[in-house]
Amino acid sequence: MLLLAGLAVFGMFAAPANAESAPAEQAASAAPPAEGDVAIKVRVQNQVQDEATGKTNKEPIVGASIQVLGADGAVVAEGVTDDKGLATIPVPVKADYTVKLDESSLPDGFVLVDGTAERQVLEAKFVTSSVTVNYFTGQAQRVTIGWWSQFAQRLADGARLGLVLAMCAVGLSLIFGTTGLTNFAHGEMVTFGAMIAYILNIDVGLHLVLAAPIAIIAGGLFGVAFDGVVFGPLRRRKIGLVSQMVVTVGLAIVLKNAFLWQLGGRVKQFSDFNNQECTSIGPVCITPRDLTTSALSLVILVAVAFALQRTRLGKATRAVSDNPDLASSTGIDSQKIIRIVWILGGMLAATGGIFRGLDEGISPTLGADLLFLMFAGITLGGLGSAFGALVGGFVIGIFVEVTTLGIPIFPGKDWPDPFNWIHNGVPSELKNVPAYLIMIVVLLVRPQGILGRRERVG
Amino acid sequence: MFANILDLPFDAILTQTLSAFFGVNAMYFAIAAIGLNVQFGYAGLLNFGQAGFMACGAYAVGMTTHYFDISFWWGIPIAVTYAVVFGLIMGIPTLRLRADYLAIVTIALAEVIRLVVRSVTFKKYFNGSDGINGFADTFRRVTPFDDAKRYKLYPFDTSNGTGATVLLLVVFGVIAVLAGRVLLGRFGRERSNRGVMWAVFAGASFLVVLVISSYVEYGGQSFKAIIVGWILAAVFGAFVFMLMRSPWGRVLKGIREDEEAVRSLGKSVYSYKMQALIIGGVIATFSGMMLSLDRGSVQPDNYSRDVTFYVLTALVLGGAAKVSGSIVGPMLFWGILSFTDVFLNSLFKEWGNQIGIFGWKFVSNSSQVGMIVQGMIGLMLVLLMVFRPQGLFGNRKEMALDGR
Amino acid sequence: MDDESMDAETAGEVMTTKLSETARVARAALVDVAPEPGVSKPDPIMTAVAVRRSFGGITAVDVDRVEIQRGSITALIGPNGAGKTTFFNLMTGFDTPDTGTWAFNGQSLEKVAAHKTAGMGMVRTFQLTKSLTKMSVIENMKLGATGQTGEKWWNGLLPFRWTAQEKAIEARADELLARFKLDHMRDEYAGTLSGGQRKLLEMSRALMTNPQLVMLDEPMAGVNPALKQSLNQHIKGLRDEGMTVLFVEHDMDMVHDISDWVIVMAEGRIIAEGTPDQISSNPAVIDAYLGSHQGKSLLEDL
Repeated sequence: MLLLAGLAVFGMFAAPANAESAPAEQAASAAPPAEGDVAIKVRVQNQVQDEATGKTNKEPIVGASIQVLGADGAVVAEGVTDDKGLATIPVPVKADYTVKLDESSLPDGFVLVDGTAERQVLEAKFVTSSVTVNYFTGQAQRVTIGWWSQFAQRLADGARLGLVLAMCAVGLSLIFGTTGLTNFAHGEMVTFGAMIAYILNIDVGLHLVLAAPIAIIAGGLFGVAFDGVVFGPLRRRKIGLVSQMVVTVGLAIVLKNAFLWQLGGRVKQFSDFNNQECTSIGPVCITPRDLTTSALSLVILVAVAFALQRTRLGKATRAVSDNPDLASSTGIDSQKIIRIVWILGGMLAATGGIFRGLDEGISPTLGADLLFLMFAGITLGGLGSAFGALVGGFVIGIFVEVTTLGIPIFPGKDWPDPFNWIHNGVPSELKNVPAYLIMIVVLLVRPQGILGRRERVG
Repeated sequence: MFANILDLPFDAILTQTLSAFFGVNAMYFAIAAIGLNVQFGYAGLLNFGQAGFMACGAYAVGMTTHYFDISFWWGIPIAVTYAVVFGLIMGIPTLRLRADYLAIVTIALAEVIRLVVRSVTFKKYFNGSDGINGFADTFRRVTPFDDAKRYKLYPFDTSNGTGATVLLLVVFGVIAVLAGRVLLGRFGRERSNRGVMWAVFAGASFLVVLVISSYVEYGGQSFKAIIVGWILAAVFGAFVFMLMRSPWGRVLKGIREDEEAVRSLGKSVYSYKMQALIIGGVIATFSGMMLSLDRGSVQPDNYSRDVTFYVLTALVLGGAAKVSGSIVGPMLFWGILSFTDVFLNSLFKEWGNQIGIFGWKFVSNSSQVGMIVQGMIGLMLVLLMVFRPQGLFGNRKEMALDGR
Repeated sequence: MDDESMDAETAGEVMTTKLSETARVARAALVDVAPEPGVSKPDPIMTAVAVRRSFGGITAVDVDRVEIQRGSITALIGPNGAGKTTFFNLMTGFDTPDTGTWAFNGQSLEKVAAHKTAGMGMVRTFQLTKSLTKMSVIENMKLGATGQTGEKWWNGLLPFRWTAQEKAIEARADELLARFKLDHMRDEYAGTLSGGQRKLLEMSRALMTNPQLVMLDEPMAGVNPALKQSLNQHIKGLRDEGMTVLFVEHDMDMVHDISDWVIVMAEGRIIAEGTPDQISSNPAVIDAYLGSHQGKSLLEDL
């Protein structure tokens, strides 16, 4: 077991061929966009639903005016969409920009239906030398129905995020439940899965459908290594939980840098299932890839829930997680359960990482960026409860996406930030903030969360 | 390949390393570590949001020009107010619960602060990812050093002496200091040995400081912050030392080991923990202030989660629950970091822009050196916690961490 | 009348002179109290009414009424799991009852936090000693004193504001340590003390709070027999100083020897109250003990 884990870790370092440098800065260029120069491509299209077939047709919007703003708010570049609805706007360097569509330049009767006129383009999104921003318009009268379709879309996006969070959080919650340890390196376990899948996919050339299961198994082995090499021995030496938590922090630093060294700073993509267009299911637009991963997540989570509820092993796991002392007095082998929990946690984290990587690209901080949301989910659901992690993670995911849509009560009134977020929605750069507020409210009102036990909270 | 190692610019490496011991980084880390020591070392609170407190100080000072348009000196009381509010937000939901919850909430809060401060939405307060400039002029005017000149810590004019003698003295001095301090930890309780140990320690430290200070120099602009900063560190260190020797410190010591016992004697554990959290946080505020005064700007990326963990590592290295640990730890931390960074970078250049061994090229560009150094910090933390949690100066008998 | 035999009357006189003044007062006050569970006392220092606490499906404590007589030494006995420690926790604020009211010196303790009860005059010790092993014995003692100005952080910084008080506290601590024969271990870490010494330390530390009611949770557990006798004397000494003592014990000799009143708990309820003699012959009590200690006869202890 340990040998396999060691091999997996070694394998990670044996293929450093893709170690890349951090994004290099390119000199400012005033020439028209040539291949390789940095540019932002903006596409403005009108979506028309064919009533007969139910399919969505996209028609280009010509002559829409676009401005690209720098981080200080000044205009860096401008462009106008051509007859294909595309504007290729050169920018001097890869950096954070704000792309702004001038809605008044849209033809009469057309309004933006999806998202805001201002879009953030982050430096990390420059995968090649360009980034694409898509705007979709619709007929003017669609605006009134727009809120519910937007809500449905956000709900779908949130569910997708929520399923990933739920998968990642189960392991975290069970590890706490069975050993009392809060694992601050859990984000790195998520990233590990995505990274292994990426290496297998891009460097070794396996199709993702093959690479993913192997990466998931590697994730399980990674979990075994954590417990077998580090935390099991620490527990046996009776090293306290506070010290162990600090050890997880140290491991997180080591791993993050190892991933950075392996992957480089830029966001990567898998070679399969990219560049899909979203298809409409009712008011919601979702790519086939995201639909599949969401469905798979759901299946996996249901299977996990079933296993925890019905199988003997699952019940033993829940027993140890809810009440370790009582469980060991009934003859359950706690050490075996703990080992299983780390394997399961590792595999689920890896799965979550792969799905997240498909959605948002693979970066060394993929998992660590989710850690805060995972903790919010677990606090909500109850530290130590697997079902709590499922429910909490899912709710947080939905909440985080849906709050970017405001509720249009009191229209016309302009309140100061952050109160105007109630009807404008939380700005998407700050969309994780409400999760923190949920955490605080839970801790103040019901610290054990929805499904946790009061006695374990202190 | 190995012959080239001797060609490395050891002079430059040594200078860089030694200057890191007393430089800006060690200085602001020391202040932050003194604060973290009160929270973690003495009270056992897992504050993973120290960077947030540091940001409070930096932004308080920055906002005096960017948003409030008032004199820079107001930054100090504003910073303290921010820190108190921040500490209350952290502590009220969590201090009655297990230690983990404070850790989780502080990580989350630090993340929220980072998002808010970098955001475009709140740009008018914090200036987003650009950071804030232009507030350091008053400070620079007030401190009596000249930007153009270079300064040494040693106040008298002295010649450097030959390279070998200096090196020998430094090595002897460092070994004597460390040995003296470690032995003090073991024999400290016996009065007779103590005097001798203290004499050894004092003499060796003086020697080390003499040698280092005559050997390295700093630019005038940085020097201002360095001097003020180290004075502040000494003041806060003395402050914490006095506090921990008082009955207040005694209660904290009791809480660290067994809260219920202290509760049964009539002390409000929650109240003491909150006081420790806030006092530690207010001290850390000054750390952020000094960093931004030195740089002349407030950069949100200087207050990331990583910074909190590095301060923690520096503290554990020196010895949590010992004031000397919180000051020497950061110095040693930055010395090691600086050395490794400069050494590896020199190696990198010397070996033709790569570092490889037996044909395996494991560093192919310079940013990877940074990754190795930072990974090393994580490893340092793990090894310290497992094998020597009391760090350099800590007392194993007094380490109450295992009890929780 | 020769020395070997005495008639009953003289024996009675000898018995009476062996009791201290406070013991006599305490027992006199309780003489008219009927040996019924939940009976009222002439001068209660602590009362509890309808106090209930359940964990999961198990009712740990279910007390209809209990009153503790001021100035007496009351023993709380019962088989393991009877709820005695839980009851202690509930009274002192370390746990919260599901229902009920309880008061100390007439003041309700509902919603009073654990640390505040110590300030009001109730102090308790723990079944598993909580001597602070990483501090010295004298530091443990000084921690116990209440109302220390040096314990506020702003005063902590200014030594002149608390050094005088600290000296006074230290003097008192040394006095107590001498009384409990711990003074020679004054500067040692509490972790180096033996089990029995730690019990003494915890008791003497509790006394630093100048309590009116001292609640001892199994003060004899793990203490060697030689020390037990002196511990008995110490507890009687507490009563002499005007304190009320409530203690949980399994050691029936001790219970019989020093208590003025005994309260018996089983399965969370109070099943009997009375003087030690009344309790030893109470069939309900014998039942409770025999029921949970099958085979082993505890009659000789009672």
